[in-house]
This record gives sequence, structure tokens and C-alpha cells, in this order.
Amino acid sequence: MKMNLRHYLRAINAENIKEWKIELTYRVDFIRGLFEPLFYVLPAILYGMAIVGGRYSENLEKLTGTGNLITYTVIGYVFMGFLETAVWGMGFALRKEQWYGTIEQVFAAPVPRWVYVMGMALHSTMHQGLIIIMQSVVIYFIFGLVLDISGILPSLLIIGIMMISLYGLGILLSSLVLIFKEGWIISEILYSFMIIVTPIAYPLAVLPSILQKISMYMPTTYGISTIRHFLIGESLGFSVFDAVLRLLAIGVLWVIFGLFIFNIVDRRVRNKGELGTY
Amino acid sequence: MNSFYNIHIILAEVKKSLKIILCYPMEIVYWCIFPIFWAVPFIFQGNALVGGMKSEAFSELTGTAEFMPYILIGAVLNTYVLSALYGMSNSLREESYWGTLELILGSPCSKIPILLGKALNEAITSTIFAISQVFICIVIFGLKIAINQILPIMLIVILLMLGLYGLSIALAGITIQIKQSRSLIHTVEYLFYLFSPVRYPVDINPWTKTISLIIPLTYALIVVRGITLLNKGLIDLWQNVVILLLMDIALIVFGYYIFFYIEKRARKSGIISTY
Repeated sequence: MKMNLRHYLRAINAENIKEWKIELTYRVDFIRGLFEPLFYVLPAILYGMAIVGGRYSENLEKLTGTGNLITYTVIGYVFMGFLETAVWGMGFALRKEQWYGTIEQVFAAPVPRWVYVMGMALHSTMHQGLIIIMQSVVIYFIFGLVLDISGILPSLLIIGIMMISLYGLGILLSSLVLIFKEGWIISEILYSFMIIVTPIAYPLAVLPSILQKISMYMPTTYGISTIRHFLIGESLGFSVFDAVLRLLAIGVLWVIFGLFIFNIVDRRVRNKGELGTY
Repeated sequence: MNSFYNIHIILAEVKKSLKIILCYPMEIVYWCIFPIFWAVPFIFQGNALVGGMKSEAFSELTGTAEFMPYILIGAVLNTYVLSALYGMSNSLREESYWGTLELILGSPCSKIPILLGKALNEAITSTIFAISQVFICIVIFGLKIAINQILPIMLIVILLMLGLYGLSIALAGITIQIKQSRSLIHTVEYLFYLFSPVRYPVDINPWTKTISLIIPLTYALIVVRGITLLNKGLIDLWQNVVILLLMDIALIVFGYYIFFYIEKRARKSGIISTY
């Protein structure tokens, strides 16, 4: 058992290193990827400043307890990057193996599927972590962010718990890609929808009631709001304890659902001989 | 005789491209709806920041206090940018994936009608997408467009497309040379998104204001918003129309020369069929 675990950890690390090697081969693309999220967050900040005529919004303070729209928006966008990790990083990992012509070899390896999935997850999380550091440094120098340092550790804990659910989502999407092949539309639809119902640059109070209800089933809702609560004191409509419990519950459910679908798809594509088809 | 053949080539190219896109109905539905979806968070954000759908500060920068139609118009016109960059610029790369690039470039006809066919196809599909988006904006978000505003808007859209397709012909040529042009196309898209008033008034920052002056989309957005939101006529906005027209000419000439220079070079070096 101990021996197996060591082999599995080695396989997870091998997958992680392989992904880094491929990414670092295309350096221009890699560097562009580091700065890419800035092109999405900057228009949101500048738009907010144009709307209120500065960086402080009275209405935002009334709704959330914090009026600095730049800090509020930046934290939302930066940590939402982890959703991107799940949808595009993990969700498309198997599609990339298909393009490289290596998916059949990967699936024939004498390790359980979750080992491969964990390797993808490890790489995606490290990559996203790097992007977040880069983004935070640039935004800090442009706008100057004031965060509560004591909130960093609990925020990291919340990110860790939120990632469980997002891994579940990534596993689900990576399996759907095996069936639909060009499954980017499914990923894009899901991603666009989650972006709307998650309180990234606005609190849930401004959403229509149906969207507010749906957002209560999204891990990103609890993740982003609670991180902002720790870092800039956003007032929450639920307790931190509740947020953690719900994040854990959603996480377990999403992972079980993701693995369940993944196993069904895995069996189906292998039975039909469609694993390596495009 | 030549012009008859050229029209035949253009139509054949359009027919082929339309047949391909019709094989992916989900993709059509996606482009008809989702560019508006991406704009929705900005509407909620505006509402959260000012507690309503109007902003005095926004009015000082743009002339209109209503930020929702401002955002929606930006989203619809941005569809043409996405079409030009990902459709037109990438079209030759797709031919190379399908294994047909060598046959097309080796065919005994001028390359201009082929490029025109691709541009016309993109113009048709992106206009269908844009019309669907405008319909959604009118029905769901209550966007108002008067009948007499449609013609001047169409004129500006045509001018915008000319400039964008000029640029994308240059990018298509560069794609023949560098093959994986994804990074370049993404970067151009981001520059357009950040430095033109798609989502926000660029006058808010001196840097964005200055850089936006070299992007044709800026002038198209100023004119279309001027017509629809400020009830101005084309005559009131003539300076922006003239600048857009001059940019079109410059971009088409630039695109033409870059494409043919690179195509000639690629033929000589034998890299057309490589990946």
C-alpha cells in the first residue's frame, strides 16, 4: 500500500512536470498567459471608476460594507482565475493528449485514473498560483491595494476548500471532452454562466432572485465572498462556519459527481474504441 | 470574363465556408447569444456601484448617463472584431489543418477573390450574429434603435468591417509564415478589448485614451453610440467617419502588401504545407 502510494505520487509529479515542460517550450504563449487575466480585470476596474467618478462607491459600501471598488473587483477577478484553471486547464487536459496522440498510452498506464487527474490538478493549481502572484504584483503597483494581512492565511484555507469543488468540475469537463471532442462550447457556456452568478465585481443583492438562488449552489460564491471578508472585511449574508460547511458539502458532491461521470465516459469510450478519435 | 470567374470564386468560397459553419449549429447559437452574456456582469456591476441604471459621472465622460445601452452596443460591435481575428485571420491556418492550403494557394487563380470570399463569408455570418444579438438586446434589455438610425449604423459597420478585414488579411499572411499565430491573434484581441471603448469610456485614463486613437473600433463605437444614444446624425460625427475611412484605406493597403509579400516568400521557401 505504502509502495503503491509512493508510485502514485511519482506519477502525479511526472504528469505535472510533463505539463510544465510543454508549456515552457512555447515561451511567448506562456508569458502572454501570465498577463492575460489583466486584460479582463483592467476594463472592469476602469469601467467602475467611470461609473462612480473615482475609486469609492457609497452604494457598494452600503451593500457590502466596503466601498473601495478597485480592491473589491480585483480580489473577485484574481481568485476567480481558479475557475479558469478547472474549466480550461483541467477540462482540456485530455483533449490536449488527444491532439498529441498520447491519450491511449496515458490511459494504458498501470495507474488509476485519479492519479492522472491529480497530476493535471497539481499543474493547473501551480500555474494559476503563479498567474495570481503576477497579477497581484502588477495591480498593486498600478492601483495600490490595501489588504488585511491577517486574512491571508484563512483565505488560503478557503481557496484550498473551494478548489475541491473546482477539481470536481474539471474532472467532469475533462470527461465530457472525451465524448464531444470539440467540447469548448460546453466549457465556455458553463464558464460564462458561473461568471454571471458569482459575486466577482458585484454583490449577490443586485442579481435577480432566481440567479441569487442558483448562485447559492456555486462554490465560487462562498469562496470569493469569504476571501473578500477576510481580506477587506466584506459583510457576508452567512457565517464563515456556514460558508466552510457549504463549500465542503458542494466540494464532496461535485467531486463524486465528476468522478461518477468520468468513470461512465471512460468505460463508454473504451468499449466503443473512440478514445483516440477526434 | 476574368471578373465573371472572380465572382464565381468568391461565391464558391462563401458557399464552402457557410456549409462548414452550418455543420456546427451549436456554434452558431453560441455566437448569437454569448457576446451579450459576457456584457451582463458589467450591467450588474454598474447597478451595484451606483444603485440604479444611470450615472452622472458616466454622463460627464460619454454624454449619456445610461450605461446599459453603452455596454450592449460595445458587445455587439465587438463581435466583428472577434470574427475578423478568429475567423478571417485564422482561416488560412484552418485550411492548413484540413490539408487544403497548398491546393488553394496552388490553384490557377488570383488569391484576391479567395480572400474576398473568406471576408464576405465572415461579414455575412458576423452580421447574422450581430442582428441576433441586437434582437436580444431589444427584447430583453429594452435597447431602443429608431428605424432611421439603421442605415447610418449599417454604413459604419461596413466601414468597420473593411478596416478589420484589412488587418486580418495581414494577420492571415503572417499565419502562413509563423503557423501557430494564436498568441499574436489573442494579443491583438486583448489590445482591442482593453484600449478601445468596448466596455468603458477610454477617456477615463490618458493612456487608454491615447492608444485608442489608433484602433478603428474606437471611431465606429463613437459614431454608433452617437447615433443611437445621443441622437446625433452622421453629419455631426463626420470627423470620426472620415478617420475611420482613412484607417480602412491604410489597413487594406497594409494587409494586401503584407499578405502577398509573405505568401511569395513562403512559396519560395516551401513552408506552405508545413505545420
